Amino acid sequence: MGIADAIIAALLVGGACYILYATLWKKKGCCGCEGGSCCKK
Amino acid sequence: MSTQLKYKDEESDGEISGRSAEARVITVAVAGNPNSGKSTLINAIAGTRLHVGNWAGVTVEKKEALFDFGGRKIRLVDLPGTYSLSPYSQEEIVARDYLVHERPDLIINVVDATNLERNLYLTVQIMELGIPVVMALNIYDEAQEKGYRIDGKAMEEMLGIAVVPTSATRKTGLDQLLDTALRVADAPKQRVPKKLNYGEDIEVACDYLAKSFRTSYPALTDSYPQRWLLLKLMEQDSHVMRELDLDDLDFLDQALHHLRKAHGEDIESIMADARYSLASGLTREVLHKPELRPTEITEKIDKIVLNRFLGIPIFMAAMWLLFKLTFDLSAPFGAWLGSMTDGPFKRWASALLTPLGAPDWTVSLVNDGVIAGVGSVIVFVPVIFAMMFFITFLEGSGYMARAAFVMDRTMHAIGLHGKSFIPMLLGFGCNVPGIYATRTLENPKDKVLTALLVPLMSCGARLPVYVVFVSAFFPNNSSTVIWSLYVMGILLAVLMGLIFKKTLFRGEAPMFIMELPPYRMPSLHSLCVHTWEKGKHFLYKAGTYIFAVSILVWFLLNLPWGVEHKRDSYLGQAGAVVAPVFQPMGFGTWEAASSLISGVIAKEIVVGTMGEIYAPKKEEQAEVPTLQEDLKEIGVSFGAACSKAVKTLLYLPVPEEKEKDRSALKQALLGVFTPLSSYAFMVFVLLYMPCVVAIAAMRQEFGTWKWAVVGLGYQTALAWCAALIVYQGGRVLGLGG
Ligand SMILES: Nc1nc2c(ncn2[C@@H]2O[C@H](COP(=O)(O)OP(=O)(O)OP(=O)(O)O)[C@@H](O)[C@H]2O)c(=O)[nH]1
Ligand SMILES: [Mg+2]
Repeated sequence: MGIADAIIAALLVGGACYILYATLWKKKGCCGCEGGSCCKK
Repeated sequence: MSTQLKYKDEESDGEISGRSAEARVITVAVAGNPNSGKSTLINAIAGTRLHVGNWAGVTVEKKEALFDFGGRKIRLVDLPGTYSLSPYSQEEIVARDYLVHERPDLIINVVDATNLERNLYLTVQIMELGIPVVMALNIYDEAQEKGYRIDGKAMEEMLGIAVVPTSATRKTGLDQLLDTALRVADAPKQRVPKKLNYGEDIEVACDYLAKSFRTSYPALTDSYPQRWLLLKLMEQDSHVMRELDLDDLDFLDQALHHLRKAHGEDIESIMADARYSLASGLTREVLHKPELRPTEITEKIDKIVLNRFLGIPIFMAAMWLLFKLTFDLSAPFGAWLGSMTDGPFKRWASALLTPLGAPDWTVSLVNDGVIAGVGSVIVFVPVIFAMMFFITFLEGSGYMARAAFVMDRTMHAIGLHGKSFIPMLLGFGCNVPGIYATRTLENPKDKVLTALLVPLMSCGARLPVYVVFVSAFFPNNSSTVIWSLYVMGILLAVLMGLIFKKTLFRGEAPMFIMELPPYRMPSLHSLCVHTWEKGKHFLYKAGTYIFAVSILVWFLLNLPWGVEHKRDSYLGQAGAVVAPVFQPMGFGTWEAASSLISGVIAKEIVVGTMGEIYAPKKEEQAEVPTLQEDLKEIGVSFGAACSKAVKTLLYLPVPEEKEKDRSALKQALLGVFTPLSSYAFMVFVLLYMPCVVAIAAMRQEFGTWKWAVVGLGYQTALAWCAALIVYQGGRVLGLGG
């Protein structure tokens, strides 16, 4: 595995972690639009 | 927003503000009794997709919709239903606080024309707020079918508010309602509702109170609607008394002195009686019912469905039917999607990436990570949507309230009442709305206990796990096996409820009062819209965090770099550490353990991770189909799936297929699990800790981590014990190991 590979891999892992952070932590996941529970007020 | 405007004296001009009428956004609160069709009305007017259902208490928080009508901007505010402005439960408080403190420009009071008297009881109180009111006489179609004649003109005259007959489901009367609303909003001073007379004694006391209150607390008269506040003070409404926190109540005692002498101590009942007689007097004047009333279909059905002995068996049978239909309808489409993700998608991804010079490992990441992981979940989209379709049907039909009624006696055994069963039923779609729906329960203790039990209800996200295992191990009894898991969830909820009642939550359940709405046939359009609303968050999950986890899992399966066996990867090693915990339950493998760990984020991920772990080694195919062949095959197999679904639904014989559609994942599972251990695994997935989103919802709803942690702990312990009992018990009974 070369340097370029390592960089791509790091970017991908970073991106995946960011998605987790943005959707799960910041947005507290999607609770579904039904049931009057939507997080966006 | 117009929220900061102060209340003015009812006799003053009532002008709203100097802003030009055209530019201003008109805020219209939509208020009324539960189940009167408020959300349906807003959906019909503004094209929103607010949750509707045929039971009381669907909307639990305020929702807004902004739209244009006749060149004007209107903000409609959907409020939770309430029977009066003396709220009991949390969602009623939301409605009451909005009406009293936020001062909308106009209130559309949605009234169920088939239940006029009960609905007018609230109307009488809404009219006291000193805000212009337009009444939407909704569900007018059903009233007409019953032969009711309602004299709208007479009602307008008696109440001093505009009355417009509407049918939200048939979309009639909506333009007229909006026209009227705009007219009233533009000329509020001509349209102040009439002051209804509560009878001489009350009115005299009220006048006296008005004077003394104005001198004692002049500031407070500005921040509340005056007449409403005076009447609430006379009732000594606990909510208002707490809000006002008055230090000197002498003036109140003086005002009420005569009233008490003439009518007794309980002023609250006197006021309620006065309102009831206003409502019933009005109803008598304006409503003409036909003399002879045929037995209605609702009563006929209820005779059977609510029967003491048949009620619960019918509920169980209805659930079984629901799974049978779900499964029969969706299985062929699931298999079709599976054949796509296993074959063409992976081929296309390689064909796209390789010429771009992408390193080999990225091709593997896409194929064995993303497509295997997300794909294993996407395969279950048809099942989930079919399930949501039938749940939406149940919600719209009016059966939800019946199920709650039928379960009332069982629920009383655990110190709850039947109403708590509705959040639990909603949990079958997704646990999170179920947790929020506990707001409709009046007692805080009931709320917490119900929210702790909701995650035991098997949500849509667990369905993929069941379907994978059931189609591998129990292909002939699939719906029955899945049904047994759902029933187990309910039974264990009752058991845990009993234990909680003996330990954490002592006390008796209060009386159960819940209205049983008439049965209604939901329209196909509304079924589709709300199925989509329920189902789309599973797609959202697949596209966001399931996607992200599938990438991370791929890396964990391939690190340290160049690892030979997945068992030696980081994920394999972590799984191997935890695996012994699951040994007594028959699935002590690192594969099962690491899937369960990643499944904490969302339960579908259990399947996604297994899809990645068991992704087949790339095999050299003798002949790679061309793109055209692939596309043709996809089209043909889709047609075959449609015909198979239709045939199964119609009970026509379906030709046995050779097991060519058996996915790689199923094949692998057959080699690792036995039917018994697979059942124990499913039981574990059903019960072990709720997903992170449900945990976050509990935290948000109760404002503390305490109950989320209690839920997490007890569920995991319960899951372990239950799976152990299933596996070891099954072995003792000779059901194989
Ligand atoms: N026949 C008929 N049914 C209606 C009409 N409006 C609403 N419904 C039905 O009444 C039921 C209740 O509708 P919702 O819009 O959820 O009622 P809601 O007032 O928002 O109820 P809560 O949120 O519980 O306060 C649903 O089954 C609707 O299909 C109507 O005009 N005619
Ligand atoms: Mg509603």
